[in-house]
Amino acid sequence: MRAHGVLSGFPAAGTSDHVCWVYDDDAAFGAAVREFLIGGLERGERLLCVGERVIDSLRGQLPPFGDIDALIADGTLETLTLAQAYEAAGPFGPANLLGYYDSATRRALDAGFRGLRVIAEVTALAADPSVRPELVRWEHVADDYIAQGTGFTAMCAYSGELTREALADVAAVHPLVHGPDGVPSFRVFFDDDRLVLAGSVDTFGADRLARVLATSPVAGDGAVLDLSLAEFVDVTACRVLAQWARDLQDRDLDVEVRNASPLLRRMWRILALDEFVPVQFAGAAA
Amino acid sequence: MTVLHELAPGRIPVRFEHEALFYRGEDDFLAGLLPFVREGLELDDVVVVAEPRPRLELLRDALGDDAGAVQFLDMAEIGVNPARIIGVWATTLDEHTRAGRRLRGVGEPAFSGRRPAEFAECELHELLLNRAFDDGPAWRLLCPYDEDRLPRAVTRGALHTHPIRSTSADRVPSSHYAADGVADAFAATLPRPTDAVLSGVFGPDDIPATRRTVAQYARRCGLSEEQVEVLELAASELATNSIRHGGGSGTVAMWLEAGAAVVEFSDSGHVTDPLTGRFRPPLDSVGGRGVYLVNQLCDLVQLRSSARGTSIRVITWR
Repeated sequence: MRAHGVLSGFPAAGTSDHVCWVYDDDAAFGAAVREFLIGGLERGERLLCVGERVIDSLRGQLPPFGDIDALIADGTLETLTLAQAYEAAGPFGPANLLGYYDSATRRALDAGFRGLRVIAEVTALAADPSVRPELVRWEHVADDYIAQGTGFTAMCAYSGELTREALADVAAVHPLVHGPDGVPSFRVFFDDDRLVLAGSVDTFGADRLARVLATSPVAGDGAVLDLSLAEFVDVTACRVLAQWARDLQDRDLDVEVRNASPLLRRMWRILALDEFVPVQFAGAAA
Repeated sequence: MTVLHELAPGRIPVRFEHEALFYRGEDDFLAGLLPFVREGLELDDVVVVAEPRPRLELLRDALGDDAGAVQFLDMAEIGVNPARIIGVWATTLDEHTRAGRRLRGVGEPAFSGRRPAEFAECELHELLLNRAFDDGPAWRLLCPYDEDRLPRAVTRGALHTHPIRSTSADRVPSSHYAADGVADAFAATLPRPTDAVLSGVFGPDDIPATRRTVAQYARRCGLSEEQVEVLELAASELATNSIRHGGGSGTVAMWLEAGAAVVEFSDSGHVTDPLTGRFRPPLDSVGGRGVYLVNQLCDLVQLRSSARGTSIRVITWR
């Protein structure tokens, strides 16, 4: 499985990193930017910094970022203000952004880099309740793209001054999260051909899970949901999974659930959810 | 009001008839049950017998070839928590009513060997059966009570919970039947714990911590990992109910009793329907699954509620 988990320190750079990094202050933010980009440099990736705050933090960094202009000049480092990013990608939305970053990744690969490592500071988008749902959708679509081994990796930085609700919304769609204690309670991310649910989902997080699943990209004949990292799933969350499967069934798409715990499968039977929607269970549980 | 002419043998019921059969010994058990079952088969009723295994096998053997037409359920299994039984009857009744068949049932929830807390829930269950089925399709349910082996309080209680009482010799209205007894029984205070109690208050942000605390306690009590997971889930559902429907906060208390670990959730809410959690929720319903699931998963669940508040006690046998 690709790198995943709740982070206390900075992880070694990998091929399919998608990190949500919640920072408290300028110093912590600068350190995270530095660590993430150094990993990219060591791996021979092109670096793309999005957002004024990221660009500002590059100035005054110690080597190897001492000569930012040289890195920019040789094509290793690119920067985009948020305004430039919007202009380049078009109206904010998953389709436009995916198209833009896919092109940027291909350009990086064509130029001889091993991939494109993007760091974006997008607190302003998460803070706006009217934009946040599209941001979350984009983060989830981007995770699918990253998980496919395209060479695209990303760190999404958010200020810890955002509300816990906003932080939980955005953090929940990353495999790797550094955030406040208990945020998010669960994460949904892609791994190979499947969707992975990690952590705990109870009644108070079930709506968030429903929103993520409702916009989750599904390829081929259906979706596979892996619950091997799910620590706790309550009745309402079970119901959300069943409703998601039902909605996909309405689109002639099947759902396979892998590695569900014996308790979840017992719960599924007790609630007669197998009568509500046919779901194929596979793996682990007896 | 049940009147005598409605109780004649062979008469087709016009309403739900809930009857306690008092018996002494195996022969008397069969003398009461065999005519009831065979009459049902002759009337082309669907006959379902829910008995603990020794009694179930005794009846099956005595029925001979007729046993093949009877559906047998192990009461020790479906009724391990008596709060599950009404759901079984409701599903069975619904299935056969839809198919145009009439149901005739035998159910012995209060069988010898059960613990006092189980007998208390059996009594509440018997009362709730009347509320659950009085306004529905006509069918008969016969509940055997073993006068030789059950505590006197249990057999006496059956006179209050069944509109009809019978023996192998006669069948009459029960003069002790208390149709309104369910309100008092549902509002009753449960026995206080006699040993040390761990307790704490929780609010809206404390659900994960509350379920973790209950899981840790369950592990310390030596419960199996499966039991721990079930209690963790039950804790989450019941604490959530307190937040959502019980005034926004609640209290969790945990203690040990002989052979059992007990977890109790209390809040200031009022559950006005004593049948809460006893019927399987409709497939398309959004909520209302928590107590039902807890009833299905846990060994024994005692729900009591009044205008003073609600307590739900979950007992796990060790």
